[in-house]
Amino acid sequence: MELYRMTAEELSALLEKKELSAAELTKAQFERIHAVEPDVQSYITLTEEEALRRAAEIDRRRSEGEQLSKLAGIPIGIKDNLCTKGVRTTCASKMLGNFEPVYSATAVEKLEDAGLVMTGKLNMDEFAMGSSTENSAFQKTKNPRDLTRVPGGSSGGSAAAVAAGECTFALGSDTGGSIRQPAGFCGVVGFKPTYGTVSRYGLVAFASSLDQIGPLARSVKDAALLCDLITGRDPRDTTSVPGDGSNYYGSLNPEMKGKVLGLPKEFFGEGISDEVKSAVLAAAKVYEGLGATVKEVSVPLIDYSLPTYYILSSAEASSNLARYDGVKYGFRAAEFDGLVDMYNRTRSEGFGSEVKRRIMLGTYVLSSGYYDAYYKRAQKVQRLLRQSFDEVFAGCDALITPTSPTTAFKLGEKLSDSMQMYLTDICTVSINIAGLPAMSLPCGRDKEGLPIGLQLIGNRFCDQTIFDVGAAFEAEFGRLDVAL
Amino acid sequence: MITKSEIEHLAKLSRLYLTDAERETLAKEMDGIVDMAAQLQQLDLDSVELTLDGRRNVLREDEIIPSYSRDEILKNAPVREAGCFSVPKTVE
Amino acid sequence: MNYIPTIGLEVHAELSTKTKIYCGCENKFGAEVNTKVCPVCSGMPGTLPVLNRKVVEYCCKMGLAIGARINQLSKQDRKNYYYPDLPKAYQISQFDIPLCEGGSVPILVNGEEKRIGVTRIHIEEDAGKLLHDDKFSGSLVDYNRCGVPLIEIVSEPDMHSSEEAKEYLEAIKRLLQYLDISDCRMQEGSIRCDVNVSLAPEGSDALGTRAEMKNVNSFSGAVRAIEYEIRRQTELLERGETVVQETRRWDDMAGQSFSMRSKEDAQDYRYFPEPDLAVIEVSDEEIARIRGALPELPHDRFMRYRALGELTDYECGMLVGNLAMAEFFDRCTALERVKPKAVCNWLLGDISRILNERGSELSDAALTPENLCAMIALIEKGTISNTAAKTVLEVIFDEDRAPEAVVEEKGLAQNNDEGAMRTLVCEILDANEKSVSDYKGGKTNALGFLVGQCMRASKGKGNPQIISKLLTEELSKR
Ligand SMILES: [Mg+2]
Ligand SMILES: [Zn+2]
Repeated sequence: MELYRMTAEELSALLEKKELSAAELTKAQFERIHAVEPDVQSYITLTEEEALRRAAEIDRRRSEGEQLSKLAGIPIGIKDNLCTKGVRTTCASKMLGNFEPVYSATAVEKLEDAGLVMTGKLNMDEFAMGSSTENSAFQKTKNPRDLTRVPGGSSGGSAAAVAAGECTFALGSDTGGSIRQPAGFCGVVGFKPTYGTVSRYGLVAFASSLDQIGPLARSVKDAALLCDLITGRDPRDTTSVPGDGSNYYGSLNPEMKGKVLGLPKEFFGEGISDEVKSAVLAAAKVYEGLGATVKEVSVPLIDYSLPTYYILSSAEASSNLARYDGVKYGFRAAEFDGLVDMYNRTRSEGFGSEVKRRIMLGTYVLSSGYYDAYYKRAQKVQRLLRQSFDEVFAGCDALITPTSPTTAFKLGEKLSDSMQMYLTDICTVSINIAGLPAMSLPCGRDKEGLPIGLQLIGNRFCDQTIFDVGAAFEAEFGRLDVAL
Repeated sequence: MITKSEIEHLAKLSRLYLTDAERETLAKEMDGIVDMAAQLQQLDLDSVELTLDGRRNVLREDEIIPSYSRDEILKNAPVREAGCFSVPKTVE
Repeated sequence: MNYIPTIGLEVHAELSTKTKIYCGCENKFGAEVNTKVCPVCSGMPGTLPVLNRKVVEYCCKMGLAIGARINQLSKQDRKNYYYPDLPKAYQISQFDIPLCEGGSVPILVNGEEKRIGVTRIHIEEDAGKLLHDDKFSGSLVDYNRCGVPLIEIVSEPDMHSSEEAKEYLEAIKRLLQYLDISDCRMQEGSIRCDVNVSLAPEGSDALGTRAEMKNVNSFSGAVRAIEYEIRRQTELLERGETVVQETRRWDDMAGQSFSMRSKEDAQDYRYFPEPDLAVIEVSDEEIARIRGALPELPHDRFMRYRALGELTDYECGMLVGNLAMAEFFDRCTALERVKPKAVCNWLLGDISRILNERGSELSDAALTPENLCAMIALIEKGTISNTAAKTVLEVIFDEDRAPEAVVEEKGLAQNNDEGAMRTLVCEILDANEKSVSDYKGGKTNALGFLVGQCMRASKGKGNPQIISKLLTEELSKR
């Protein structure tokens, strides 16, 4: 089998047995990238030279008998909003087009320490704002399952690269569904961990209280392996929770007998396509077949999650993105007259329209006279929503829902209608508002052959349950092969 | 309805210039989003209290960690001068 | 009409922690530009703040010292505005739930105690520095000061004159010094303040419209700014015009404040809770620990000195205002050998003079309370004159030696032998007939001159009291 079709778990075994060298694997990985990248365009930056150098180093260390981590030598792609020391980190924005961080994100450092080989930086919606990766200032990534369609977003580059075999797995970030929705669209596994379990240090902030880094992979086990690497308390991130880390992979237990799974009725209402609905309900039947109890539940207030999400995330974004002003790094307008003009021109020319829209909205909901009506109310709804999830999880181990209302849509289809675009996140945003762990994994295809995503939602800090439940389904349903 | 002057005020606060076309579409789109956000007004939230929750007292000891070199700090500066970031002259 | 000013002050004091508030960069004044900077304090994308434990402790110290209530749970908020010295384009501060609320600072107004209310004390980060120089093509930004911890002490509008404001500011400075939480280097801007001034007609209950002045970097500047603002507003009101509620920039060089109208219309800080930081919790135990470790506070020390009954308020204030001196004074008086007044005189007199001349601190001197008191005791016993004592002080200031030994070695003992003195007095009278006749003619101050002549002739060893007595006796014989 071609190396680019294999999982990290399979590749790791070959590397450990020295049946494959990291250098061979890396070379093969870049051959695959060069073959399909012209169609998919998932990478903003490729780091081939450095990757080959690192791979050779891994091989040397292994030959010297050093005990390496399980994932040493495996190719990984990184979303371009994670800081990589010395490697351009653009957030797919003209604003950071030439930005070279002087430090690496904690998650990236952990990968480097474990000997993974970074292939490059993956495309995304500008500053992670969007659901189709069409808001990138540099290129439009195509869905490898159908090149006329979007890969989803904002981690569209990550999902497309994994689905197209352009890396074994990837890191993405998820603020309102940005890992899960593209994973669903591209037919790969995407996992958003419980808020605080993975350090955000070095993740360029979009909405600090919602952002979370997570894996995209071709199997649940690979996602667990990668998640184990990046999980753990980081003294540089005050919001990261105590604990040494996780062992999701080693603890996987796909036994479903005795598990109670909830079908929250709010996620199956209007706007959800029939094909998606029936695929998810079929998945529920699979779980019943495995001995789990499936019951209908209700999470009141879900209908309010979208406005709540847009208020909270835009408010934080308007503040987080204020630092891009042409003074310290990144883009500065060529011509201006004085300081304020420099600020205004730099920001007007450096940001794309979606980013400007969110900044304006965030400024609006925080501005004097509107704070109580919008921001404060959204905080209250957030509190209520958390409570209602708490109540549901008192009687369930996990929830089963669609990842998004439809399968991947056509490039350009929703670009001119922001509200339609926002609605594609209707199934995912509430999870970020409540800080819960959730996974998307393939559970079928629509009549056009496009993958359908199944979303599994867990209680806070019950990430293991989600890996268990995900692995059980994957063992029955199987995985989608690499596209193209 | 978000008025044109409100849009202008928000743009000013956000340090953005808007073209006429942008102002037009933004006003329309923001109306849509604000309408959606206004759904929250339907809820009776008076009894919901925003107490201070979440993690507490995640603090650092007062111990020096070496700073970065000036070259690293200024590495990405669009314009630098005499070891500093340089900006258009401000009148003080 | 007479107008009564009402003044409120917001004092920003830099804390003397080892590191900055949200990163491990050294908190150090005067380093080369942009060398005490890291990705966190320069606001690089992806970085996150981590709060310095000491900052919370220092703020609580100040709060407890003025009797404030500590909010056991408080939060941090973002204050959003654009300026090149603020790299994140927001300042992390505290908005609606500060660490400390309430309390008051005692000051003396014409010898009477008055308490100035404090609304709140909160923690926040300092901004960087803009450097302006014609030789540069732009304004330059140095981020060394970015993230230096500040406490902001917001007073109630309880002051009604620039003198009261000055007293309040001095009291705050003394507190910071006594608590050892700020270096209080005024010339380096480690204490700065914003000043609010309003005027109301005498007898009126309503407060007038207030103007706020920013950028006041010294206490004397604050006094000038307040007086300028009182004059400006008085003139406006007398002309029948109204005071505009606005923020003004104080220009100390020009001695004037200027309206900042250009910035005003866009001033909306859009405060919201800082999502990158956890809630600050201060436990009962922690509060008790900090309270238990508070030193004697400057006002209490002042009252203790005043109760000695020997010192003027001015002297008490001078001692209290210099912690090292006050502590030295206390160690002297604890020896109970000499009068506190004498100790005070020497400390505020010759000792201060020497320190000033050398630009050094009392702690740098070898002088001990034991030696100083022994020296004063020698004066009180009449062993040495005040003049001779000055010579002794020069020695024991730098060497830990018994004053008696110094007196011995230098032969400084006072001559108390009346017989020898009388001979000397007669010689002086013979040599100064003019002064004698002046004295006889009623010019009694000629006596002083004659005493001086006698002291000089005795090489400073004559006992001035004995010489005066003998002079009077001998003059009456002539
Ligand atoms: Mg302040
Ligand atoms: Zn720093």
